Amino acid sequence: MDFRKELFSGRDPYDTEGTDALFAAAVRENARYHAAHCPEYRAILEDFGFSPDELQTTADLGRLPFLPTAFLKTHRLFSMPRARMPIVASSSGTSGKASEIGMDFGSLVSGAKMVRRVFAPRGILSARPCHYVVFGYEPRISNRAAAAKTAFGYTFLAPALSRVFALRYREGKYVPDLDAVIRAFERQEKSPFPTRTIGFPAYTVFAMKRMRERGIRLRLPPGSKIMLGGGWKQFWREAVDKNELYRLAEETLGVPEDEIIECYGAAEHPILYCDCARHHFHIPIYSRVLIRDARTLEVLPIGRVGLVNLITPMIRATPVTSVLTDDLGILHPAEECGCGVKSPWLEILGRVGLADVKTCAAGAAELLGEGAGT
Amino acid sequence: MILAKGRLWDSGRQDEILSGLEAYINRIRSTKRLLRETVIRAVDALGKRLEAGEFDAQLVDLLGAADARRIKAEAALAMRREALEYRCGLELGDAEEAALPVFGEGGIRVRARLEPLGTILHIAAGNADGMAAFSAFEGLLTGNFNIVKLPSADNGLTLTILEKLIEEEPELADFLAVFDTPSSDTAAIGKMAAMADGIAVWGGDEAIRAVRAAASPGVKLIEWGHRLGFAYLSGYRDREEEYAALARHIIETKQLLCSSCQVIYLDTARMEDCEAFTAEFLPVLEKAAREHPAADIGQQAQLSVRTWCRRLERAAARAGGNDADRDDRGARVYEGENCSLTVCRDSALELSPLYGDVLVKRLPEKNLLPVLRQAKGRLQTAGLIASDEKRERLTELLIRAGVCRVMTAGHMSAEFIGGSHDGEYPLRRYVRAVNIETE
Repeated sequence: MDFRKELFSGRDPYDTEGTDALFAAAVRENARYHAAHCPEYRAILEDFGFSPDELQTTADLGRLPFLPTAFLKTHRLFSMPRARMPIVASSSGTSGKASEIGMDFGSLVSGAKMVRRVFAPRGILSARPCHYVVFGYEPRISNRAAAAKTAFGYTFLAPALSRVFALRYREGKYVPDLDAVIRAFERQEKSPFPTRTIGFPAYTVFAMKRMRERGIRLRLPPGSKIMLGGGWKQFWREAVDKNELYRLAEETLGVPEDEIIECYGAAEHPILYCDCARHHFHIPIYSRVLIRDARTLEVLPIGRVGLVNLITPMIRATPVTSVLTDDLGILHPAEECGCGVKSPWLEILGRVGLADVKTCAAGAAELLGEGAGT
Repeated sequence: MILAKGRLWDSGRQDEILSGLEAYINRIRSTKRLLRETVIRAVDALGKRLEAGEFDAQLVDLLGAADARRIKAEAALAMRREALEYRCGLELGDAEEAALPVFGEGGIRVRARLEPLGTILHIAAGNADGMAAFSAFEGLLTGNFNIVKLPSADNGLTLTILEKLIEEEPELADFLAVFDTPSSDTAAIGKMAAMADGIAVWGGDEAIRAVRAAASPGVKLIEWGHRLGFAYLSGYRDREEEYAALARHIIETKQLLCSSCQVIYLDTARMEDCEAFTAEFLPVLEKAAREHPAADIGQQAQLSVRTWCRRLERAAARAGGNDADRDDRGARVYEGENCSLTVCRDSALELSPLYGDVLVKRLPEKNLLPVLRQAKGRLQTAGLIASDEKRERLTELLIRAGVCRVMTAGHMSAEFIGGSHDGEYPLRRYVRAVNIETE
């Protein structure tokens, strides 16, 4: 029985309650697969005395040993030969180290179905052509970052008339070219077709702020959208208040708040979390989210702040069934949103920076390792 | 943001400001002179505002309550007039112009004095918040024009400090240019370096190597690189008290500072002694970890996730057929609550896993110097726990091996006015000695 296929074929992407039994079965199937094919994963489950067969309901998900993203950045784990992975995505490596996550063919098929279902309510899949402005990396063969792939992939959700990239590859490195983006906006204002921006919120905000400084106020054609994703990266300290972002978009580009769409995801957990009309990330049927106490790593009840633990049976190439991120978050009951979507929603509060700590002693060690020879 | 010519500019105007900077610096240097008293007055006044709590909220926000308290106390002390004057006296000696004695037949008469190096580019590491501002203070104190390249993780603290400093003494604005240029913009940093007489770089090997490669041979490099600290144990005066102090130091600094203890060396050649020490010390370390719990949720998460990852690593190693209790070098980990001790077979000075995870190694006295010499250029602080009869001899030996600070184990990271920095008096590096022949 292919429970994954059944789960990713679900019609209502937010009927988490109605899919609980199926989800538990799919995770059980997925964990069994990894235990059978990835020796390290099997050893980890054994160390915790956990058998995938124990996964009977979603209440058992918390007992499945999770892999922190910090662990995945230093350990490449695979449950199938590379030849069977059409894609190997790497995490952004904000802090220097990147994890490598293999994607099997089945996970890509699942992903395509998921994208279609999740984006449907926000009118993102459209036959109407549009111009794309990507606040992300210009594609290159050697750029394996998941964020680059995702952003480029999004430019196929509606037929593309043009694509402009904010991070251009010049002389061996990526450099931001926000002026080129602003010039594109000025051209697109006069187009009969809408514009979509896609990518990192930080660069999106930088561009809009620059427009405000220069007194540039445009009205992009109706139906234009601002899509944000990929996190704030190294600019997270500059993360602006969401309302400020909506004001900026209205003022500089003439894009109203309900056309601003934010997405959350991670290379280690490529589930698409798309915000609702009230800008909340509801949990889709393809995943479940647990919040864990930062000190004990025990599962916390809904409404408490802790580390975000993401669970999905989507991938068979790499054992990322249950992944602990270094994001701090809080899970809210569906009713606290009131948009009508039935599943709980995840609020990301920030990053604890597990791998970001660069110490003075750490740098010394690197040099010693080379010179000392002991 | 960029701070230049006394006002803030948008980062987008970097190239424009840089292209006019050389001419600006030349004008300032040929027409103005920065008096030490002006700088001392400004830094002292700003320190008083810091002490009075004006920046408390911002510091706590950036650093967390515990670190904010510690850094505020250290900074306030270092910014006091008495401290600055003492440092100038100690590090620069009598800066007054002095006549040199006349030697030899038909000897010439020469006067000597210390002068600013000229223009200093400060490139600061991101790991010490506000470090770039302190580097700039030292540059100003010695009368230099200062170009500051902010670390990427500066979060605005340095810029705020320097802005407030200018509020105290607007004259200082003439001698400061602060850029938030990312390290990847090598062209811009190259332009800054080309204007500098000296480059002060704080950071890891990567940063230092990049600066060495980019700087022209004539530029003076003032490198504040990374260092490693360790404890050396050979007997004790009061074991309970000294072990507790060492454990507190390890937990409180989280082993993140250059002076923090990475390795505990035991004066022995026997592995059994290491195991016995671990049995004694682990409960003490655990007690310190309990008494100084991680202050905020981020630090708690760091500790718990690291412990979790170590468990996963051991399990994964077992899958590879390795002895899970020993790593590939035969080291054995003893897990405590939010801390650990790793007994290693080798003696090399190296970085520990940090955050309360300490390495324990054998290092008999006779091997002390040759082993530590392997870490030359990286040695800074030794915390010495020793019986009275050995203390003096071991102190001498540690210093001969290249250690710059020998402290008691509990005071390894203590800051004090007039202390050497990695074996140097920093202000001395920001000046040059000039000679002028008199008629």
